[in-house]
Amino acid sequence: MMKFRFMKLRDPKNTPLVGLILAIFLVGCSTSEPIEISAEDYTATVDKVTEIMVHDIFSPPVASRIYAYPNVAAYEIMIQNNAGYKSLSGQLNQLEPVPQANDTTINFRLASLVAHMDVSRTLLFSEDRMASYRDSLYGVWEKTNSSEFEKSRDYGLQVSEHILQWLDKDFYKQTRTMPKFTVDTEDPSRWQPTPPAYMDGIEPHWNKIRPMVLDSAAQFKPAPPPAFSMEKESDFYKELIEVYEVSEEITKKGDESEEIEIAQFWDCNPYVSVTRGHLMFATKKITPGAHWIGITKIASKKAEYDFDETIYAFTKSSVAMFDAFISCWDEKYRSNLIRPESLINQNIDENWEPILQTPPFPEYVSGHSVVSGSAATVLTDIFGDNFSFLDDTELPYGLPVRSFSSFNAAAQEAAVSRLYGGIHYRAAIDEGLDQGINIGNLVIERLEMKL
Amino acid sequence: MMKNREYLRLITKISLVVLSLTFLVSCNNEDYLFDLIPASKTGVDFQNNITESDQLNILDYLYFYNGGGVAMGDINNDGLPDLYFSANQERNKLYLNKGDFQFEDISESSGTEGMSTWNTGTIMADFNNDGWLDIYVVSVVGINDFKGHNELFINNQDNTFTESAAAYGLDLQTYGTTAAVFDYDMDGDLDLYLLNHAVHTEESFGRAQIREERNEKTGDRLMRNDNGRFVDVSEAAGIYGGINGYGLGLAISDFNKDGHPDIYVGNDFHEDDYYYLNNGDGTFTESLRDYFGHTSRFSMGNDAADINNDGWPDLISLDMSPEDEKVLKSSEGDDTYQTLKMRTEQYGYHYQFTRNMLFLNNQGKPYSEAAILGGISATDWSWSALFGDYDMDGAQDLFVSNGIPKRPNDLDFIRFVSSEEIRTKINDTRLVDQTALEMMPSGVVPNYMFKGSGDGAFENKNNLWIKNIATVSGATAIGDLDGDGDLDIVTNNINESAGIYRNNTENANYLKLRFKLNSGNGHGIGTQVYLYQNGNVQFRELYPCKGWQASSEPIIHFGIGSATSIDSVKIIWPNNTYQVERNLEVNSTVSLSEKNNTPYSKEIKNELPLFRKVSDKLGITYRHKEDNHTDFNYQKLIPYEVSDRGPALAVGDIDLDGKDDIFLGGARNQKSEVFLQRDGGFVLSEYPELAKDSISEDVSADFLSFRNGTQFVLPVGTGGNNIGNSLNSLKNRSIHIRKGELIVDPKSKTPTNTGKVLVMKNEQNQGMSVFYGNHSTPLDYGNIPESYFEGPYRFATGTDNRLGMITDAVTEDFDNDGQMDLIVVGEWMSPKFFKNNNGTFEEIEMLDQPVSGLWQSIIPFDIDKDGDLDYLLGNWGQNSKFKASLNTPMRMYYADFDENGTTETIIAIEKNGKYYPLLGLNELSEQMVFLRKKFNAFKDFAGKSIEEIMGEEMLSKATVFEVNTLSSGFLRNNDNSFNFVPFPKELQTAPIMAFAEYDFNGNGTKSVLAAGNYFGVIPFHGRFDSFSGALINSEKDITIGSKLGLDMEHKSARHLKVIDLNNQPYLLIVYNNDEVQIYEIERP
Repeated sequence: MMKFRFMKLRDPKNTPLVGLILAIFLVGCSTSEPIEISAEDYTATVDKVTEIMVHDIFSPPVASRIYAYPNVAAYEIMIQNNAGYKSLSGQLNQLEPVPQANDTTINFRLASLVAHMDVSRTLLFSEDRMASYRDSLYGVWEKTNSSEFEKSRDYGLQVSEHILQWLDKDFYKQTRTMPKFTVDTEDPSRWQPTPPAYMDGIEPHWNKIRPMVLDSAAQFKPAPPPAFSMEKESDFYKELIEVYEVSEEITKKGDESEEIEIAQFWDCNPYVSVTRGHLMFATKKITPGAHWIGITKIASKKAEYDFDETIYAFTKSSVAMFDAFISCWDEKYRSNLIRPESLINQNIDENWEPILQTPPFPEYVSGHSVVSGSAATVLTDIFGDNFSFLDDTELPYGLPVRSFSSFNAAAQEAAVSRLYGGIHYRAAIDEGLDQGINIGNLVIERLEMKL
Repeated sequence: MMKNREYLRLITKISLVVLSLTFLVSCNNEDYLFDLIPASKTGVDFQNNITESDQLNILDYLYFYNGGGVAMGDINNDGLPDLYFSANQERNKLYLNKGDFQFEDISESSGTEGMSTWNTGTIMADFNNDGWLDIYVVSVVGINDFKGHNELFINNQDNTFTESAAAYGLDLQTYGTTAAVFDYDMDGDLDLYLLNHAVHTEESFGRAQIREERNEKTGDRLMRNDNGRFVDVSEAAGIYGGINGYGLGLAISDFNKDGHPDIYVGNDFHEDDYYYLNNGDGTFTESLRDYFGHTSRFSMGNDAADINNDGWPDLISLDMSPEDEKVLKSSEGDDTYQTLKMRTEQYGYHYQFTRNMLFLNNQGKPYSEAAILGGISATDWSWSALFGDYDMDGAQDLFVSNGIPKRPNDLDFIRFVSSEEIRTKINDTRLVDQTALEMMPSGVVPNYMFKGSGDGAFENKNNLWIKNIATVSGATAIGDLDGDGDLDIVTNNINESAGIYRNNTENANYLKLRFKLNSGNGHGIGTQVYLYQNGNVQFRELYPCKGWQASSEPIIHFGIGSATSIDSVKIIWPNNTYQVERNLEVNSTVSLSEKNNTPYSKEIKNELPLFRKVSDKLGITYRHKEDNHTDFNYQKLIPYEVSDRGPALAVGDIDLDGKDDIFLGGARNQKSEVFLQRDGGFVLSEYPELAKDSISEDVSADFLSFRNGTQFVLPVGTGGNNIGNSLNSLKNRSIHIRKGELIVDPKSKTPTNTGKVLVMKNEQNQGMSVFYGNHSTPLDYGNIPESYFEGPYRFATGTDNRLGMITDAVTEDFDNDGQMDLIVVGEWMSPKFFKNNNGTFEEIEMLDQPVSGLWQSIIPFDIDKDGDLDYLLGNWGQNSKFKASLNTPMRMYYADFDENGTTETIIAIEKNGKYYPLLGLNELSEQMVFLRKKFNAFKDFAGKSIEEIMGEEMLSKATVFEVNTLSSGFLRNNDNSFNFVPFPKELQTAPIMAFAEYDFNGNGTKSVLAAGNYFGVIPFHGRFDSFSGALINSEKDITIGSKLGLDMEHKSARHLKVIDLNNQPYLLIVYNNDEVQIYEIERP
């Protein structure tokens, strides 16, 4: 009997006979409890997405995409049950209104979570990992209140489908088969692959991805970097030497130094390749976007945000970061600037290694800076300035907890960590941070979410 | 302990499976050529047991699994070779050979157990020249708390030894791999080369030049024997000693046969191998680039021997490419295109690829690399290669030992497993997670045995000659352990008993030689021997320190098949005197000493080569320069580039002075150039009209003059596959003279990559037509463009103008009706014959069966001398990872598989009855991301057929192209029907790109010269650089270019043309991305 019920009730096209059985069943189980969904359920799902992303290895821009769309899907469902928020349709580029629920007894929180999981699952590689996480939740909900679960799930999937159609047109698919980045080996100022993996430049066409809020990828085009020159008096050379000298100085201070701790704390490199002879492996960490998603979670928790408020915070910050990556990558492949590691090895010290592994894309501007700037600006707007927090996001990756007096202080530190890490010049950090703040402010100004 | 038991269990399991399989096989076959004799019978209970610990494992020492050494030699002069094994972590062992595969362990009593912490290779040689073999053991000292020094056990002539390395100056403390003895300075005593390995980070390439800065631990050492004391002369002798020399392979041979022994060093990782030619004055010149177009990348063991019986030593260098589809697709493979480009062009390293390399010696000219052609390119994680005539049929066979306890290059381990288990532990705490190590898949696999055919081809004899038993076998020695005249094999195995393989060859004859010289080189190391038998020659050199961390029995062994007598044997002693023995009995072991002291002078051939390079190129100072465009960046799965088909060449009288001039159309961003013929040579002339065309990439041109030479037409076809910002680079154009002015007329047509432009005279009305044979659609490879005529000619109604991916075409009256017909060839198609019916061309079937190839070139030529015209066809060759046959054609699927508006192509080849994609998940998913969702792990993908990977439904919507032969060859004319005949093996080493017909021999008979090589492939394929050209006089009379004075190796030819200057013929060779060459034709 149980088995029969389970199988039939999962079928959305219930036959009258099944309807009858359902009715009987409902009568028989009139003690069903409503399904409770908490803010923790939402953050746990986001954490699951992060965990799978680390396994699958997504580059930072792609990771930002995998965060943003599921949050938007969840948000668009959540607002239907909370008049305090406004839909993003018509506000985010080409987002049409999602199908409205025609049943007010739907558990909108559950539907939000279902949509989030379904969009995430589609975007991740290891679908099975997300599916097994989902199925364990489904099992619990089904047991608790199968009728509530099923109609809410069905609605969640309906919205998910809508969001998937929207994201399908963001040009991501087309960019997959666009040309790889061709390295210009003749111009000494141009980016070239860096040790140890000498990977090709990743996502050279990310600026073609449809932004959510920005008018165009180049809307906050930063000032160009200092003109390339190996003349000792040039601004560029001075910045190059600064990277080298800072690195030498803090290396002397040792691994315990504040600067090295900062560099490692904000490394956020999803794929650090390690080679020991013929043995190769990778140490994998979260992306910078994921780190700020982690901070969003910490802040939501500290502010005792409920489910709806939590979704709001995640959605707004992930949308800002999604656009931040488009804007940043637009500049990276425009200026196409060589990394300090290449130049220092070629001109100053052939045995020098940066404290962090140089990521595989051009130098200018710093992705950490743009993304941190945009996220901190948005989070400050949501939670207020001088919102202090303990950042334990990197604990699972063997890194300590750091405390920050505000989001902006964290962003400042994330930005300068790239100088300590030996992978960015000063200009990329300063200009990048400004670029990110501009994007954050645009998101705040344009998006009407919390009424 | 736990580990060993696990291994034993595993091995037992595998053995049982193998046993049951082989049992079935052996029911239908004769017994194995070799029997593995168990330790319980031989008494050789040596095992190289490796114990991993938190302090010492593959993370701490990169060569943790490289194994110990083995040396075979007669230490008590009783005629039976004894065995010495060095162990990495345990004590070394010496076994006395008691005959009949019985051995006695005298390790302890002989005093040869050694005291170094980590031993590697070992060799036997008579260091003090007392007629008794001593033992030298190499060790790693100075890292990981490894202590000790290399040990030299001097033979006390009573089965005991005294360690005396210090007294000889050989107590070296380096990161040693192995050593070899030879008399490099020809002073009559044995010198020593110590091969060391780097431990330096290979995380960044660094400049190649760091090899010039000597490092005392990692740099190789050349130790000169000064009256019994060995002195380090490395630096003065020109031996590199850098911190990046990962020396793993060492071969000594007189490669260039100048009487002085040379050295080949195989280096692991990105460091180049070294080819040291002996200058004869105590110094060497490293000459790798001059002689090798490319080498193995993770070079391991190697061996030099004459495998094709031409009297010159060839060379194999091992790597780690697996043959098994599942292992292949789940292991890290070659570099990406851009990484290789960077490593070679920016960092200064040579071309290296991840597979075994077989270098055929072209008599002192650059080597031809033909491992794939030879069938020995992939033997998994390989350590030792030893050539020997194991079946004694007169052709050298090959034994390869291989295996590794754990595969550290497993892609799932690299990307997924390792991270979650190791995380940051390794960098931060140096703690090793044993569970993480356990997650690397096992690489315990059977060794390889190949039967040689004497012409460079080998046949896999696994499970026929040797039983397939999974082991980790490293150092290997060969010799005649039981004195029955055939070569037995001994391997040093990790974590299990040494392998003792008894050779059971019967019914074949042999000759075994050992030498006894009066010099300080009593065993005659370096002696060269030629055996002449019934018009055949076999060549051997005595350099017993070979293979991998080992030395073999110091004898010369010949197999002579069923022959019952030997014509003569010529012995060239290390001091370059020689003698000839005419009365040696078959099936005997002969001990020879020097007599007569007759100086040996090389038979210097005074034949003048046919071609002599003209250094000033007659003024044709043209260098083709490709642009930076890389097809693989745009069409990631394109099987080869289509943007490198230029330059265009046309020869004709452009300035209307009655003499032929030369037009060379450049690559994108390179202008066309015209060289006008003047009295003394050619002069570059300025045509501003042509300079405007530099944007176009010219790939084919033709020339026709008319009206008594007062007019001409020079159509130029473009290609380059690069749309860039404009389509102008793909605009064809026609150059001609109008009112005395050179005119360039652009032709507007759908942009295509041209294959061949051919001007055809209309015999009927004095006019002409131009045939544009097109190759491909830019950025849509697989979409066949239309080919067409310009002028009155046309294809017959109903002809599909999309003829194929045209590369070449000729006009010839193939049906003898007095009208010039058209024959076109191209890729993924069979040659097509078009009959000319008064200007209308109708395709007719002329082949007995279609031969679909990757055809590159065609020329009419009566190769079989039967009076009718045959057609020579240049194809891809047989020396590549492409694979095709009539029954199992290579396939190419073309479709927009992921429906994103961009098409892609997938190549699939057949293996054991199934079709597999040629490339792996990383490559395929770079274009088709959905595969990453379909296959979350490499092990899920590996071993899957193309149908399983793509799905039948997806494949069914694809256009399928097929190739059923990759051989170059010719279409034999059998009374107006043609059948395909492949060329011999020497012409299959690389694609043949161009032909030219001329009376090169000056004997009134025309011959065809063929040229080739091609580099437009990803590093997975390597570089097809080994074809030195060939002069084809007839089907049976073909001479390879390296013997003709041609220097075509390592360059990719596009055109051959004979031009006349002052009634003297010259050969013009035009290369892609290189300068042209001019040769004088030295006709007798």
